Amino acid sequence: MPEASSLKSHYGRRGFFDALVLVIPAIPFALVFGLAVRESGLAIWLGWSSSPIMFSGAAQITLITLLGEGASVAAAATAALVVGARHLFYSFSMAPVMQRQPVWFRWLAPYMLVDQVFALCVGKQNLPTADFRHYYLAAGITFWMFWMTFTAVGLFVGPVIPAGLDITFATPVLFMGLLVTAIDSWQKAVVAVFAMLVTFILADMPSRSGLLIAVLAGLILGLVLERLRK
Amino acid sequence: MMIFATIVLMGLGSYAMRAVFILLLSNHTFPPLALKALEYVGPAVMAALVMTMLLSPEGGHAPRVYEWAGLATAAVVALLTRNHIYVLVLAMGVYWGLGYLM
Repeated sequence: MPEASSLKSHYGRRGFFDALVLVIPAIPFALVFGLAVRESGLAIWLGWSSSPIMFSGAAQITLITLLGEGASVAAAATAALVVGARHLFYSFSMAPVMQRQPVWFRWLAPYMLVDQVFALCVGKQNLPTADFRHYYLAAGITFWMFWMTFTAVGLFVGPVIPAGLDITFATPVLFMGLLVTAIDSWQKAVVAVFAMLVTFILADMPSRSGLLIAVLAGLILGLVLERLRK
Repeated sequence: MMIFATIVLMGLGSYAMRAVFILLLSNHTFPPLALKALEYVGPAVMAALVMTMLLSPEGGHAPRVYEWAGLATAAVVALLTRNHIYVLVLAMGVYWGLGYLM
């Protein structure tokens, strides 16, 4: 591993701790996935294998649950792909900053580009090249190890966290914090509010596809607002 | 075996969706319009993601008052302090506190 020292660098440590804060509220989600595997009736190793192979929580739950319910492979795969399609936006958003990175990292980084890693790194694009890489790797590896471990734990223990103490809400809370601190113009604020509104209105669309339309609508509005500024 | 093949194909699909622009655009200069649009991807996706997390996967579930209050607290605290620990503590405090009262 060319970056074995990444945890020793300052930004490596920051990436680790920032990811840790997002790991904790995601624990119930990982345990729920383990439970979904057990209830699907699939062999547990088979269900869990989607963790290292796909590394995409919501898409994994969609796929395994639908397969367990007896949906056709094509239907389950299509739904899971639609759920995961937001990653196309992450890829697009990260493309410029990745141009300055070494080739090995450009091939490795997409594997770890989960919601939390995107949320943490999207505001760090102005960091020096090596610092950005250390931060991204530390956050990505931390999240990866967490997801592998806790989806496996969930296969055996089920959700052990009491329902009364709902910590999963900490994820939208932290994402809201990251969103607000990333906004540096009124245009971006308007776009964010608009994207939320469209997602809310399209809540009933299948497989979270409302999110994709909301993001596209937000981008178009952003470009229109840019025109108005001139 | 069929299921495992499906999971492997989905894994390739997941990777492809995350990699496509990073790898294909690695040697291209971005036209100004694309660069402008890029700036809005982060805010738009994050906002849509936050809202998606409040809605149930089956759709139709309207977020409850204490969920709105928790999110509003998070936004205000982030705006005023830029400190994510304060955001976490205060917003979760409002969320749990109001949820307990209601």
